[in-house]
Amino acid sequence: MTTVTLQHLTRRFGNVAAVNALSLEIQSGEMVAFLGPSGCGKTTTLRMIVGLLLPSGGDILFDGKSMLTVPTEKRGAVMVFQKHLLFPTLTIAQNVGFGLRMRGLPQNEIAARVTEMLELVHLPGFENRRAHELSGGQQQRVALARGLIIRPRVLLLDEPLANLDANLRLEMRELIRSIQQELKITSIFVTHDQEEAVMLADRVALMFDGVLQQFDAPRVFYERPLNAAIARFYRSENFLSGIKRGSQVETALGTLRVTSSDAQPDGPVLLTVRPEDVAIGAGPDNNRITAKVTAVVYMGTHTQLQLNVDGRAWRAEGPADFTAQPGDTLSVHLPDKRIWLLPTES
Amino acid sequence: MQRLHLIEKLRVPLMLAPSLLILTLLFVGGLVVGLGQSLGYMPVIGLNNFTLRHYVDVLTDNNFLQSLWVTFRIAFFSTLFSTVLAVAFALILRETFVGSQLSTFMFQVPLPIPHLVAANGIVLLVTQSGLIARLLATVGLLNSPSDFPVLVFDRAGIAIILTYLWKEVPFIGLVVLAVLKSVGPEFEELARTLGAGRWQRFWFVLMPLILPGIVSTSIIVFAFIFASYEIPLLLGVRFPTTLPVWAFNNYRDPDLNLRPEAMAVSIILTVISIILLVAYRRLARYAVTA
Amino acid sequence: MNKSWRWLAVIIIIVAVLAPLIPQLIWSFTFRWYFPSLLPGVWGTQAWEYVFSKSSRVGEGLINSLNLALVTSLFSIAVGLPAARALALYEFRGKSLVEWLLMVPIIVPGIVVIMGIHILFIRYRLTGTFLGVMLIHLIPCIPYMILVMSGVFANYGTALEDTARTLGASSLQTFWYVTLPGILPGLLVATMFTFLISWSQYVTTFLIGGGRIITLPLVLFPFIGGANHAAAAAISLVFVAPALAVLIFISRSLATESSIMGGFGRL
Repeated sequence: MTTVTLQHLTRRFGNVAAVNALSLEIQSGEMVAFLGPSGCGKTTTLRMIVGLLLPSGGDILFDGKSMLTVPTEKRGAVMVFQKHLLFPTLTIAQNVGFGLRMRGLPQNEIAARVTEMLELVHLPGFENRRAHELSGGQQQRVALARGLIIRPRVLLLDEPLANLDANLRLEMRELIRSIQQELKITSIFVTHDQEEAVMLADRVALMFDGVLQQFDAPRVFYERPLNAAIARFYRSENFLSGIKRGSQVETALGTLRVTSSDAQPDGPVLLTVRPEDVAIGAGPDNNRITAKVTAVVYMGTHTQLQLNVDGRAWRAEGPADFTAQPGDTLSVHLPDKRIWLLPTES
Repeated sequence: MQRLHLIEKLRVPLMLAPSLLILTLLFVGGLVVGLGQSLGYMPVIGLNNFTLRHYVDVLTDNNFLQSLWVTFRIAFFSTLFSTVLAVAFALILRETFVGSQLSTFMFQVPLPIPHLVAANGIVLLVTQSGLIARLLATVGLLNSPSDFPVLVFDRAGIAIILTYLWKEVPFIGLVVLAVLKSVGPEFEELARTLGAGRWQRFWFVLMPLILPGIVSTSIIVFAFIFASYEIPLLLGVRFPTTLPVWAFNNYRDPDLNLRPEAMAVSIILTVISIILLVAYRRLARYAVTA
Repeated sequence: MNKSWRWLAVIIIIVAVLAPLIPQLIWSFTFRWYFPSLLPGVWGTQAWEYVFSKSSRVGEGLINSLNLALVTSLFSIAVGLPAARALALYEFRGKSLVEWLLMVPIIVPGIVVIMGIHILFIRYRLTGTFLGVMLIHLIPCIPYMILVMSGVFANYGTALEDTARTLGASSLQTFWYVTLPGILPGLLVATMFTFLISWSQYVTTFLIGGGRIITLPLVLFPFIGGANHAAAAAISLVFVAPALAVLIFISRSLATESSIMGGFGRL
């Protein structure tokens, strides 16, 4: 198994740094998601790891050994592309066995391993079909099998689920996860979908504009984002500015108590609570603020409220039978354990 | 409603009719007359009986096999070399680099230039007193024109093949280039990550994708050269001539009795060409699926 | 691809392409040029004076060649464009047979057909006429038009036309504002092919023209491989100039629009 280390990895296109001094270490057998909006440099990073793109600076190490001078075909890093890219002139078996054929393995051994691989991706007996006879999901599974068959040191997936519809995506997600845990291959996948990153990855590397923002377990991004931009990317824009003094934050709407007070030093802070943690209606009397309802949307399992809190737009979730009208004034409770403090935005 | 259905039904036939009419009338008409004459049916000069005599005459002619061989050799080597060079240049030109636009433009230049102009240029270049011989003499590698090899009016047909190469490499190359550009680099990148080296990527990834283009264009080129008349007549030896030259010389002869033989030669030429191309296409199909 | 290989290839392309053209340029301005000098001993414009003289028939040939190539191309468009569209966008019974019939002149050597048509044309008094020569030029031109344009039509599809129709465009408006701009680069290339095919015809014009329709290839032919290199070169340059002018117009679409040349790959 292989650890992957990126040291100050940089790639410039002209004057623009698509990836800027990216450093992180991926443990052996770990599944890491590179997450970020399109154009943030995640695919560029993947292409550098696999060797299709030369870094402008920095280093890529597999098990502590620099890979910069190792050509792609010798690196043992396999990439599964967003487009499945099955060779149209080859059968499914020939597609899956391609990498082994390149290594000059005997035909019968290739055939045996192809059969084994097709079973692993739940496509037994598909050997003699051709790519165009398969559905999108099946093609993507063949592409996965084609990558896995050469027992790569690192598996790289570039938005592997982007071209699939919602149901298939779920199925494929579970398949990738179970195979990855079974084979314990160090894996990196690129996605712009934070939900996908949460469900699949052991750790998530969030990138904006070529810069690594935070590299942590998925739940940390929800509970303890490092800054407002990260919180926003995770769909929480409930912010309130205040001045922190010890375990108290003084805001325009009153003083609030916080538990994780050591997140920021005393002084100006940005306070945040995730929409699902804002308690509307009954609840404890302390830590209350007043909010004005601006919109009510019935979501089936719950009701989503849009609120105006000290001039900022907040979101909150209430029970499905919650009734309110735009224009109503509500008193909402912010649980002290659920309040997280961020640095103020410049 | 009825009218709409009728229009719908007639649309495709109406779109196709003009082309089909002109081509089949001319082509089939010409073919039937030619076939008739080759079989000795030529009422103008009082020949009214069908006979295979002219075919027998041609096929048993001592020079027939020699002519066939010359014709085939020129067409085969011109096509083979054109194809190989075209693929090589297309592989280079598909990438973007400083000067790639200029190179691509230069590569296209022979495409519109008529074969006769190419032939004239090749003659001025490679005769014993041509520009190349002069260059060699200037640097002292050559004392007199007779030291330079005979490349025009030669038995091997070097000047002929050079003329065709100059014309056909860009044609095949631009078709292959078009295919390569539409394929993009992804398949090769994928193959690289799966461990394919440079030659493996060419052979296992690119070749199957560009093969249909190569087969189509080399068929066009071979069929064209195999039956063309001007260049071998202008730049080739008087004997043995290629089959098209044989046919046309007979046809243009004031003695109308030579015409049936001209037709027989042309039809034999056509049949051989079709057989070769069908076999080639089969072979290529087999190569793709294997 | 290795960089030095690339430069070698670029140099080979430039040298090889220019090599047969440069001696023609020099020879056309040559009066005397003895071996082994690299440049003519005596320059002169005699060859060009000959080209511009009436007796050379170059002017007559140029006008005939231009007329023939233009009319043949326009005719090929009128006839070939609908057929190309039908082959590209419609499914119908006997399609592969039709395709085969329309492509046959490209693949099957035309030598028998040309000689056979010659005899037919003599009977119908078409030899020695502009119409007869144009008809015989159409045989190779129409298939090339169809080959290139069916690829272009297939690539262009009908989605944009359908959109235009739903927005209220008539079929003529749709063709003029949507289809034509979309296929224009391809159409220009296809027209260039038909123009140049007609422009380069020798045997067909020679036989059917019967000495009465003189085109540039007919003027040039007897000079090639002959003793008068200067005249051959000068006529050759007149012959090549319009062809190169055409290329400059379509060079870009030739290189960038893969559907155009790619059409040849689907024969």
